[in-house]
Parts: sequence; C-alpha cells; structure tokens
Amino acid sequence: MNCQEWEERIALYAAGDAGAADAGETERHIAACAGCQVFWSELKQSLEWLREAHQEEIAPAHYAAVRARVMAQLESGRAPWWKQVWVYGVGIAAVAVVLMAVRPHAEPPRVAMVMPATVERARDAGQGAGSRPGGLPPREVGRRKRLPHRQAEIILVKLETDNPDVVIYWIAEKKGD
Amino acid sequence: MGRMNVLALLEMAAPVESPDDGVRAIAAAKAGDLAVFERLMRQHERLVLMTAARLLGKLEDAQDASQEVFLRLYRNLGKIGAMQNLPGWLYRVTLNVCHDMTRKRPASVAVDEMPELAATGADPQQSAARAERRRALLMSLRFLSEKERAAMVLRDLEGLSTEEVARALGSSEATVRSQISKARIKVRAFMERYFRSNI
Repeated sequence: MNCQEWEERIALYAAGDAGAADAGETERHIAACAGCQVFWSELKQSLEWLREAHQEEIAPAHYAAVRARVMAQLESGRAPWWKQVWVYGVGIAAVAVVLMAVRPHAEPPRVAMVMPATVERARDAGQGAGSRPGGLPPREVGRRKRLPHRQAEIILVKLETDNPDVVIYWIAEKKGD
Repeated sequence: MGRMNVLALLEMAAPVESPDDGVRAIAAAKAGDLAVFERLMRQHERLVLMTAARLLGKLEDAQDASQEVFLRLYRNLGKIGAMQNLPGWLYRVTLNVCHDMTRKRPASVAVDEMPELAATGADPQQSAARAERRRALLMSLRFLSEKERAAMVLRDLEGLSTEEVARALGSSEATVRSQISKARIKVRAFMERYFRSNI
C-alpha cells in the first residue's frame, strides 16, 4: 500500500472515525512514515480550525430576523374568527341546498315565476285554476307584459318544496331591459 | 464577549425540558399556540441557521432556508412524534431545503458575505488571523461536492455520529465514511495551498 492509499484511512483516523483494527494499523504507519506524519498533522490542524470556526456564533439579530419572518408568515395565515364566520355561513347554506337537491325520493322543488301584474289581474278577476283565496296563485307563470322602457319590474319567484308548509318566495327588482 | 452578547446568548439558550414537556410543547404548537411554536424555534434555531450557513455559505440564503425549514416544521408538527426526533428531522429538512436552494440558485464562491459573527473582543491580530483562516476554510467547503460538504458539516462541525449523519443523508455509514474522508483530504489540500500561496 503506498502513502496515497493511506490518506483516506488517516483522514478517518484523525477524527476518531477509524475502527479499532484500522486505527492500530494507521498509527503504526504514521509512526514509520515521515510524509504521512506531515499529512496527518496538517489534516488535524485543518479539522481544529474547522471546529474553531464552528464555535463562533452568528449574531443574535440574525436569528431574531428569521423568527420574525416565520411568525409574520404564520400570523398572516390566520384570519380572526369574525372574518371567517361568513365563510362557514356560506358553506352551511351551500350544504343545505345540496342536501335538499339530492334528497332521495324527494319531489324536485317547483319553481314558478309570478308577475305581480298577472297576480293582480288574476285576483281582480277572481279566476285562475290554482288560485287560493287570500294567497298568491301557485305555479302560475304569467306571460311577461312589456313594461315601459326603464320602468322598474318586480320579479317574484315562488319555490315550492315537497313540504307543503315550506314555500320560498324570492322577490327581485329588474330595472329597464 | 460583550455583556450584551452574553445576555443575548443566554436568552437564546434552550431551557432544560423533560421529554413530557417536549411532547406537550409540540402538541400545543400543533393546536395553534404560536407562542409555544416560537419557543420551539428559539430552541432549535441555532442548529438550523448554522447548518444552513455552513452548507450555503451565505447568511442571506441561510436565513431564507431557515425560514422555510421552520414553516415546514409548523406544517408537519403532527408527523413529529416526540422532541427526541426533532433535531434529526430538522437536520434532514435543512439538508433538503439547502439542496433545493442550491439547485435553484447555485452557490457563489464569494466568501465576503459569510455569516456575520458576534464580536468576540479578542486581540485584533489574532482576530485577523482567525478571520483569514475562517475565510479559507469556508472557501474550501465550496469546492466539495454537495454530499461531501453535507457529510463534513454534520460530522465535523455539528458533531453528529457517523450513524446520525447517514440517517440524515439517507445513505449508508460506509458511504458517509468515504465522503467524510474525501472531504477532509480536500479541505487539507486546499488549506495547505491557500496558506502556502498567501505566506
């Protein structure tokens, strides 16, 4: 084995990483070889310098800067509860609508668009197959009467569910065409 | 060392905790207690920032890496069972983050931007010699392969056992021993050439 081949073993031996048998052999070689003695002492010196450099500290301000950046990022990811409430509200409403829509054996809700003018006319004439006394005529879809340009138009949507006690009315105002 | 630095270091020092305290701390941080998480960071920030600085050679990059490591820690608190596993986990993630950063922005050989050290108050001549050695040393680390540098930083600077280094690097002990010895030989050769040409 020439000295170059000893280098790797000396490099391990210098920091106590050689096995017991290897360490003994390496020690004997170093004792007998002047070149490897120099190599060994230089290598040990380099390692000492390395450790010395490691003992030096990074200034505390640099740690604080990292901490501040991490905390800022974590805090920005958290919205206060009152900012999150509406998200939950919308979520619950969406779930309720989906559940209503996919309920097995449930009659699909019936939707009727009722024009106020038609409602009034039907009430005045006292006719209309589905009209109920004192109530709005159910499921009556009136033909839309052309209103004068830019006049506010009231749209009334009636949503009948399979529960006779639950009827949903949606009133909207449409302006102009 | 100045009084201010001593105080700052004392503040940074990790309080002695029992394993139970550690488990409780991780559980509390996981539940969203940011004050507890900040304490966890204080306990391990030196490990992460120093390792990243040694691997990347630039303080600014090391700070970016540390930030990413701690954000990953926060996201993965549920996967870390106990405090005893935390240092190993942090070393592994620091190595991964530094590896990713090195791939994205190759490390420069410039050593003027190396970590700024706390004032040690030593003799100016001694300080200058030490600074020069340190500069050469850090430069020598730049010439190692990524794996060799990681193995050397963890074994010779962080003082991990060969087995712990192997676990952090995801390789065998034999491979780590070979990487460490090659790295030491290269560093010695660099230092020898550097000081011979600078005398």
